[in-house]
Amino acid sequence: MQIELLPNGGKEHLHLALRGELDALTAPKLYEEVSRLVQERPGLQKITLHCRDLVYLSSAGAGILLMCMDNFAPKGITLELAEVQPEVYNILDLLGLTKLMPVSHA
Amino acid sequence: MPNKMSLQFGASAENLPIIRHFVQTHLRPILSDPVQINQITVAVEELCANSILHANKEDPEKELRLELQLKGHTLHIYLYDPAPPYDLHAYPSEPRLLRADTLRPGGFGIYLIRRLIDRIDIRRRKGGSSVYHLVKQLSP
Repeated sequence: MQIELLPNGGKEHLHLALRGELDALTAPKLYEEVSRLVQERPGLQKITLHCRDLVYLSSAGAGILLMCMDNFAPKGITLELAEVQPEVYNILDLLGLTKLMPVSHA
Repeated sequence: MPNKMSLQFGASAENLPIIRHFVQTHLRPILSDPVQINQITVAVEELCANSILHANKEDPEKELRLELQLKGHTLHIYLYDPAPPYDLHAYPSEPRLLRADTLRPGGFGIYLIRRLIDRIDIRRRKGGSSVYHLVKQLSP
């Protein structure tokens, strides 16, 4: 999986594009990368993960998204998923994550 | 898709993409709905991931075999696992949306298998190994 830092958003809003597959192998990398970026941005309020090119999500991937949400919320940072493909949205929905965080379709 | 296809792999998480590719390659010619293909792929990967990561503790020397059999519009999925069986039915029927529950066996993965698959049978084999049999009615 590739994670690309997008230029828009400024200091308070972080935009990341995810490409490929988020599974047990790649999920830790996402958490490490997002955590590093959060540490570098003290005034951060929102993270948007752009998922147009995210083609697969396993339970481990969903678990990491939930972990990001849980761990960053006390810092006042909200997490949202944008441009989510139908296959990935279906899995998020089955797990109830679409009720816990803003998730928009591709 | 031929009526019976099988894939042998070691208990390594590195093999998860290969398992997904195997399932998708054999489902795409017979299913038109990408969401249904993905649901079956996710269920099979979750089953294999549990065996690889938890039952076999990521020992690549442990060999597992995945088998797909198509009988009419019914897909039979078999996973032959050298480790003793665990009871997929023993876990909660709803996922607990707590971080600590999601990254260990019994979290989201087993919930997804139970939601996405019509029937699950588990059998202990002679010598202590196990066979997981998942049945899914297809909507071509």
